[in-house]
Amino acid sequence: MPDLIRLADIDKSYTRGKERIAIFDRLNMHIPAGDFIAVMGPSGSGKTTLLNLLGGADRPDKGTIEFDGKRIDNLKENELARWRAANVGFIFQFYNLMPILTAAQNVELPLMLTNLPAAKRRDNVATALKVVGLEERAKHRPRELSGGQQQRVAIARAIVADPKLLLCDEPTGDLDRATADEILGTLQLLNRQLGKTIIMVTHDAAAAKFAKRTLHLDKGKFDERELAA
Amino acid sequence: MNELFLVRKNLFRKPVRTVLLLVSILIAFLIYAFMTSLVTSMSDFNTKPTRLITLSKINFTETLPIAHYDKISRMEGVAVATHMNWFGGYYQDPVKGFMPVFAVDPETYFEVYKEDLPLSEEVKAAFFKERTAMLAAEPVARRWGWKVGQKVPLNSNIFTQADGSRVWDFTLVGTIPTPPGSSQTGSVLIHYDYFNETIDIGRDRIGWIPFLSTSAEANDKVIAAIDQRFANSADETRTNDEATFNKSFAAQLGNLALVLALVVGAAFIAILLIVGTTMTLAIRERTKEFGVMKTLGFSSGSILRMVLGESLLLAFLGAALGVLLAVGLLAAAGSMPGAPPLHLATPVLWQSALMAAGLGLVTGVLPALAAYRLSIVDALSRK
Amino acid sequence: MTSLLNQIATITALNLRTIPQRGWMSIATVMAVALATLVLLFFLALSNGLSKTVEGSGADDIAIVLREGSNAELNSVVSKDQLNILATGPGLRRRDGAPVVSGELLVIVDGIKRSTGTAANMPFRGISADGISLRKGVTITEGRMFAPGTNEIVVGAGLLREFAGFEFGKSIRLRGSEWTVVGVFEAPGTVFESELWADIAVTQSLFDRPNIFQTMRFALNSAADLATFREWAKADARLKGLEVLSEREFYAKQASQSSGIFMIAAWGLGLTMAVGALAGAMNAMYSSVAARASEIATLRIIGFSGVAAFVGTLIEALILSALGGLVGLILAFVFFHGRTTSTLANSSFTQLVFKFDLSPSLVASAIVFALVIGFLGGLFPGVRAARQRPLLELAG
Repeated sequence: MPDLIRLADIDKSYTRGKERIAIFDRLNMHIPAGDFIAVMGPSGSGKTTLLNLLGGADRPDKGTIEFDGKRIDNLKENELARWRAANVGFIFQFYNLMPILTAAQNVELPLMLTNLPAAKRRDNVATALKVVGLEERAKHRPRELSGGQQQRVAIARAIVADPKLLLCDEPTGDLDRATADEILGTLQLLNRQLGKTIIMVTHDAAAAKFAKRTLHLDKGKFDERELAA
Repeated sequence: MNELFLVRKNLFRKPVRTVLLLVSILIAFLIYAFMTSLVTSMSDFNTKPTRLITLSKINFTETLPIAHYDKISRMEGVAVATHMNWFGGYYQDPVKGFMPVFAVDPETYFEVYKEDLPLSEEVKAAFFKERTAMLAAEPVARRWGWKVGQKVPLNSNIFTQADGSRVWDFTLVGTIPTPPGSSQTGSVLIHYDYFNETIDIGRDRIGWIPFLSTSAEANDKVIAAIDQRFANSADETRTNDEATFNKSFAAQLGNLALVLALVVGAAFIAILLIVGTTMTLAIRERTKEFGVMKTLGFSSGSILRMVLGESLLLAFLGAALGVLLAVGLLAAAGSMPGAPPLHLATPVLWQSALMAAGLGLVTGVLPALAAYRLSIVDALSRK
Repeated sequence: MTSLLNQIATITALNLRTIPQRGWMSIATVMAVALATLVLLFFLALSNGLSKTVEGSGADDIAIVLREGSNAELNSVVSKDQLNILATGPGLRRRDGAPVVSGELLVIVDGIKRSTGTAANMPFRGISADGISLRKGVTITEGRMFAPGTNEIVVGAGLLREFAGFEFGKSIRLRGSEWTVVGVFEAPGTVFESELWADIAVTQSLFDRPNIFQTMRFALNSAADLATFREWAKADARLKGLEVLSEREFYAKQASQSSGIFMIAAWGLGLTMAVGALAGAMNAMYSSVAARASEIATLRIIGFSGVAAFVGTLIEALILSALGGLVGLILAFVFFHGRTTSTLANSSFTQLVFKFDLSPSLVASAIVFALVIGFLGGLFPGVRAARQRPLLELAG
């Protein structure tokens, strides 16, 4: 498989108060299309920062990020927003649905950024909800749904615009085992049947088993052997 | 679903809060629209640049000899002049039934105030013909239930008839429509000749001499010529154009414009503070959502638009409700005993729109900029 | 009971400590209440100042006679004959055998309002020689009284402060004659200070109203003599159509007429603005309750009662609104208390000069007004706070 993403010589640090915290120092990584990677590691190891960089939600201090052969680290703010809308789906630990919108409206949100006609949008929303098995709940608001259901809506929202890359930050961190396994099963399905490339940050070794491979991150460095494998 | 849909949804996310904000905005616009219309309808009548008024230099309550009218009529630069007297009229009750009744010279009065007297030829003829004829502004006739053709007894609180009676009988021959700005708002017209023959004191004297000049450019010359002509006589005059006269008349009540500005200013400062701080809080509560939306690919510009859209929508909704309520209250107040008919002053409409836009922008700009500048990383790490 | 008070104190302290977190919103509430109070006080002080001045002009032992039912002095007509008959009435104070009386005529002349430069109606009153002694508290502070039978004028100090055209020593042309201002008089806190006085006979003749009076003033031996004088006048057919009032009654009637419109403005605008401020206060208090939901939930778990949460919220609202009322009061004292203004006093259609006046009772109304806003503003949010269930998850 060709590489979907290449990170080359990434430096990234944050200032917290007066302190300067280095996260990555010359990080290199490439991710083939169709991969499903679980990223594990202690708090502060740089997992979330990695997701932000991969998803264009944050920029490296140094180094380049290529997606599908094109650099994204030097895109302008608005270009980057458009790129995210087209290419990346985000799934968060606490779902982050809009409480004022129904499940279907939440799913439709990313389609506002496309030029799809209304009918096509409705089809796509229905399809995405079907994929996550929530067609029945389309009209419900987030607070009327269980945690697992909310996360399914979030997944539907992440895939509705048909992005190549899904980024998941502790997607099952707030769920019980059985529900978590269902969610992870859905992610696995998306990876296997729809060919989505998935990067999933998790603390949960059982969750990581659903991925094709697991990478361990510590103090901004991957385990070199895992990375090479 | 589009941005406007989201704006609407967001605005009513906490309905109690939004309704309370709408109430406070509504109040400010109500005060503004109501008070402005009130002041306008008391002072802002249709004026005509060529319409001038001559009155006693001592005060407008002092009268002038009728000879002044004849002299002014024949002066150069005067197209047509008329004269009117204050009758001190009331119907039944001296306080509740008080009304501005003017004794006029019918034919010339209709020439000088042509625009404000859009009456049919029949009504005009009826008024000109009969000495005891009377015309009443529509709202006055409606309020007292007078029908055309009916005899109406009017009292004077100043004059007495030769027989000691203070009641005059008039026949209502027609009503005068009073669109906003009409100089005839609330007035009742009777014949000078009839008035002059029946009063006990002050015969052959007149109150004011309104007249039309041949052109507005000639005004200054005409004014100077008239006032000079009567200078050093027992009845000196002061001549003004109509707008100046109206303005100084309204100024007698006090500095209405200043009071209006102070009250409206206070109301708007109050809502600016309330709406501004609440919007800031409302937007700050949604920081994380904005982060999520940006992550989904919404541009900072579109977030800015939506936040500003929300504060603008709020301001416009509140303004519209306030102006609507003002229209209702003006109608109600205008139909109360003794009140002149009141209308919404037309400039209030576009001024309110402008003020709503200003309010929406001012209260929304800081939260909108904060949302615009928000970085995804900061927003998502917020609890 | 003590425990409930302690609970309330604890919750109130908690609320007040968290005010800075909602600083701007609290300030907005305080200011909204302050501005509503200010608008209320503006018109109340106007109304109060006006009626105080008009009422302050009236004495009980002075009788005023005018045409019955003339709600304005301007419309009254009393003849010379009637004046002569009235002067024989009982209960009148006499000096050297003659009653102390003043037949008066009011005409309106133009002055120039200093603040706007526009013409304004000045009361020009012809009075007789006794006119000045028939008015309490009048003193000539500059120049002298007019000499009877001359074209001389004395001017009230209040009128001079607000209007131009009648300065001391100035010569004025009215109806073809020259008049000279020969004196300035003061009569603090009365309507007299807003008038111009001249000799009655000269006024009648030069303003072409021969032998016409509008009002008569008589000094009574005592206030008790008013009834006697009134009954006597009523019984005389030649005095039919005249009305006898004490000076106090006369001005009290005018005061209520003139100040009524300001009372309407005060409460109309004040209450309307109060609704706006109330909406703001409720909003702030709902936010306050929402911001402290987890603290309240925690306290409820510990065993605090809902009543304490309710009262605590109410107290916070009352403190904010009381502060607002106080700010409004201070602004009112700074900006307009004691300031001189003038308006058309509608009974005589002339300008009356008076001062904005904040009486203790107005101060009290303002405080009550502000507290009512606070009470209503805290009521429903307080109920919400009281209903906050002791949930562990919120407390976490």
